[in-house]
Amino acid sequence: MISLATARERWTSFLGSFVAVAVGVAVVTMSALVLLSDGTGVPQRLAGAPVLVRSPAGAPAAGVFTENPPWAPERAGELRRELGRLPGVAAAVADRSFYAQTPGSGQRAGERQGRPWSAAALAAYGLSGGRPPAADGEIVVDDSLGHRPGESLTVLTARGPQRFTVSGTVDGPGYYVTDRRAAELAGGVRTIGLVLEPGTDPARVAAAARNAVGADGTVLTGASRDALAPQQDEMIRWIGGQVLTAMALLSAFVTVFNVSSTFAFAVAQRRREFGLLRTIGATPRQVRRLVYGEALVVGVAGAGAGAVAGVVMAPAMTGSLIDAGFEPAGFEVSIRWWVPAAAWALGVAVALAGAGAAARRASRVKPLEAMREAAVDSRPMTRRRWVTGLAAAGLGAACSAGTAFAGADAMVLLVLGAAMSLTAGLTLLLPALTRPVVGALTRPLARRPGATALLVRENMLTSVRRTSATIAPVLATVAFAVLITSAVQTTQSADTTRQAAAVRAEAAVVPRGTPGLSDAVVDRVGGTALLSTTVYGGEGGAALSAAGVTPGFEQTYRARAPRSHDVVVTAAVAAAHGWREGRTATLTFEDGRTRHLRVRAVLDDSMPYQVFLPRELVRAHDPSALADVVYRTTATPAPSLSGLGAEEVPVAVHAASDDAEEDRLVWLFTLILVTITAGYTMIAVASTVLSATAGRVRDLRVLRLSGAAPRQVLLTLAAETCCVVALGAALGLAVAAPALFGMAQGLRRELGLPVELSVAWPWVAGVVAGCLLLATAATVLPARAALRRMRGA
Amino acid sequence: MPPVRLRSLTKRYGTGDRAVTALDDVTLDFPAGTMTAVMGPSGSGKSTLLHCAAGIDRPSAGEVLIGGTELGGLDENALTVLRRDRIGLVFQAFNLVSALTAAQNVELPLRLAGSRPSADEVHAALAAVGLADRHGHRPSELSGGQQQRVAIARAMIARPAVLFADEPTGALDSTASRVVLRLLRDLVDGRGQTVVMVTHDPAAAAYADRVLLLADGRLADELAGAEGAEAIAARTAALEVRS
Repeated sequence: MISLATARERWTSFLGSFVAVAVGVAVVTMSALVLLSDGTGVPQRLAGAPVLVRSPAGAPAAGVFTENPPWAPERAGELRRELGRLPGVAAAVADRSFYAQTPGSGQRAGERQGRPWSAAALAAYGLSGGRPPAADGEIVVDDSLGHRPGESLTVLTARGPQRFTVSGTVDGPGYYVTDRRAAELAGGVRTIGLVLEPGTDPARVAAAARNAVGADGTVLTGASRDALAPQQDEMIRWIGGQVLTAMALLSAFVTVFNVSSTFAFAVAQRRREFGLLRTIGATPRQVRRLVYGEALVVGVAGAGAGAVAGVVMAPAMTGSLIDAGFEPAGFEVSIRWWVPAAAWALGVAVALAGAGAAARRASRVKPLEAMREAAVDSRPMTRRRWVTGLAAAGLGAACSAGTAFAGADAMVLLVLGAAMSLTAGLTLLLPALTRPVVGALTRPLARRPGATALLVRENMLTSVRRTSATIAPVLATVAFAVLITSAVQTTQSADTTRQAAAVRAEAAVVPRGTPGLSDAVVDRVGGTALLSTTVYGGEGGAALSAAGVTPGFEQTYRARAPRSHDVVVTAAVAAAHGWREGRTATLTFEDGRTRHLRVRAVLDDSMPYQVFLPRELVRAHDPSALADVVYRTTATPAPSLSGLGAEEVPVAVHAASDDAEEDRLVWLFTLILVTITAGYTMIAVASTVLSATAGRVRDLRVLRLSGAAPRQVLLTLAAETCCVVALGAALGLAVAAPALFGMAQGLRRELGLPVELSVAWPWVAGVVAGCLLLATAATVLPARAALRRMRGA
Repeated sequence: MPPVRLRSLTKRYGTGDRAVTALDDVTLDFPAGTMTAVMGPSGSGKSTLLHCAAGIDRPSAGEVLIGGTELGGLDENALTVLRRDRIGLVFQAFNLVSALTAAQNVELPLRLAGSRPSADEVHAALAAVGLADRHGHRPSELSGGQQQRVAIARAMIARPAVLFADEPTGALDSTASRVVLRLLRDLVDGRGQTVVMVTHDPAAAAYADRVLLLADGRLADELAGAEGAEAIAARTAALEVRS
């Protein structure tokens, strides 16, 4: 009864907890729903085949998503014949593809939409107009592109722009040409689809197919065909998963932080009420249960709102995730009802856990405190608080020191660890720090004439709890904002420095609106081109990123280039496969053929690819390979590149934009994290200040009665709030600084290059300004209303 | 046997040079069915006496017996239970839980004791203080005097052995004060309730059967409330001058 009534009555002081729990649960619900949803499913181009056979998987590696190596061409032919002979199978069709794109239509790197007409039998869609391609110059295209049969059409392929005549259209994605034309451009076979005779049971055919292919492939039917979703989609989902996991974790931390700080303050403000309850017969246990009861009310309501919001917002968030590139196109979230239920339970548990310390503290209130005026906080630091605070701060300091010596992987963890521990530690120690720090910093105020300065100083000093409770969320916001934004900038500028240092060229020609550069572009520019492909190394068939290079590579990268029948590999790859200079490396190519090549050189791991091959060799085995970049080494600018989907940029610009997509995702991810932490903690600031002001109405009355004009009263309050926020910001910077310096030091040592520490000042300033505005508004507006009421009364 | 007996009650705050003796070896009985006013200058120890007698502060030495039970022998829980069942408390201000209605405040001690009070019982308690029609109001919607009467109703709901009141009229105007004091007096006369009241107001003390004057933690003087406010004021003034 009391819990419910109190939660209703004192909603301002519970607002921070409520919102924190609601937002936290909403984030966890959305993240979990998205994380647990299925992928994009079987691609449409294969969805028409009830039974699909897929080439065996290569060596799996965590966080690496590559397509399986294709079958050797002879083996693919054999399998197709064997499968075609199975009873009930009308046709066994190879799924082959090549790069094809009309200028202006978007396509992702690595995507290959050109296919032979025979493969159209596997698709879930069919001819929607015209007729199949009969001659080599004919093409069938997606009807959504708006081309009609008979039209002439330029299609970009790996060779360059090529003219086709549209013979028909399909109501699905893809560019279909004659099988003979496709054979010139397409790579190896990874999937064979079985078209069944009417009335055949797919399960029986699948069993027979399993017998036929044995260990040489995986037979998929029904829902298991979803495994054929593009590996690129899976990688995007994996990145999305990382983002969502980090978001959920940070939300949980911030929720516990906010709930415990708002509850601590709410309890501190209500010492007299607890004292009253104790005098009229409440046992300490009952008082503790009362606070837990309030946490339960806030938790149940907040988590309920959050769970509902999470379910409602999950589809919308999926849309933004797809737009942002964290989830593949066509991804749909599936609502599982136990997910919001579990998130709700988690939210309630977090609320109870966050209120735990406050509840213990409330139960220790003595009955006598009901009779005290208790404006001066006595003994805000307990032994336990000292011990935990110092331990957490120590751990944070250790993590900060660790960043100077850690590798790149551990660095991010250590920086986050340092931020969380230092924030928690300093927050716990705040009541002890507040008095000396505020006292020293505001000493000049005391000497100034006028009452405002004196009042500001003394108010902050005497109400240590109120001051600390406001400083804590500001500290957390600023520390996280500085760390997250600045840490990324440091890493990014380091990456750019590293790449620009490696290449010597006049300019770089890069793709524009296309996944890569065709032969036509490479021929026209006449520099050093990096023809991108994937090879599968050794017996396990681990996928390796490879580049086909011309002899000019030696000049551009100052590294040894492969000659015919040679390969150059990076040190990490060499170590993983046991390759050394002069030894033979076995590689499987995109067309499924295997070659034995001599290792000419081993390069260090800073190279942009893992394996370097002669350009002709890559072209011969991967007719659809595209160049990622052409470095122009001659002084004359490249001739016109219009219509080829390419543009020339300075080398430094290319170096900075090389990872542009990845950087964009990282930056977006950063902003999401900053927004979440900042948004949250600002709510905590507002809630704390709001309830602090509500509890000070009596003070305001006394000030007014002793002759202060309303303006002076408001000015005093606003000045106090500004001072507190400024202090919080300063402490937040102090928390972030050690980790940042450690990180810069670590990168400098790791790279051997000068690395400047770059702090994202606009963001930091924005976050501080936001806290300042919100806190001042939360102080002044209710105080003004209170003053008005006083005048009215 | 008197419901409240104090035996050599001593309370010291602090240690060493800074030690302050608030109560110095006080022995007193508060007889059943009487109203006693405790007076004295600031720092005379009158509030400390009330806190120790009501079991919300622990004496440094001596004994407090409530209805024959020695409080020193009780742990925090047992003391709380005793307070809940045997002692009623009314303070100067901040008597009510602001989130609860008048009726909910009144039934709070019974609920804390784990029983479910009947609506009639709560209604009767509020009616006894003349606030039957205000049961659904929150403290912020009640005047100071009304709040104090709700606090008295709450203090009486468990039928305590003794009702302690700490400056019950300190924050009220004279009209409201008179209503509250009349109420306390009626409890003594009508129900035989034992009331102990700390006050600095001679007019309030005049309602009591017996007025005790404290100075420097010791019992300095004693007179009957019937002697009137002026006589009480004169005696207190004399004490203030002496100390």
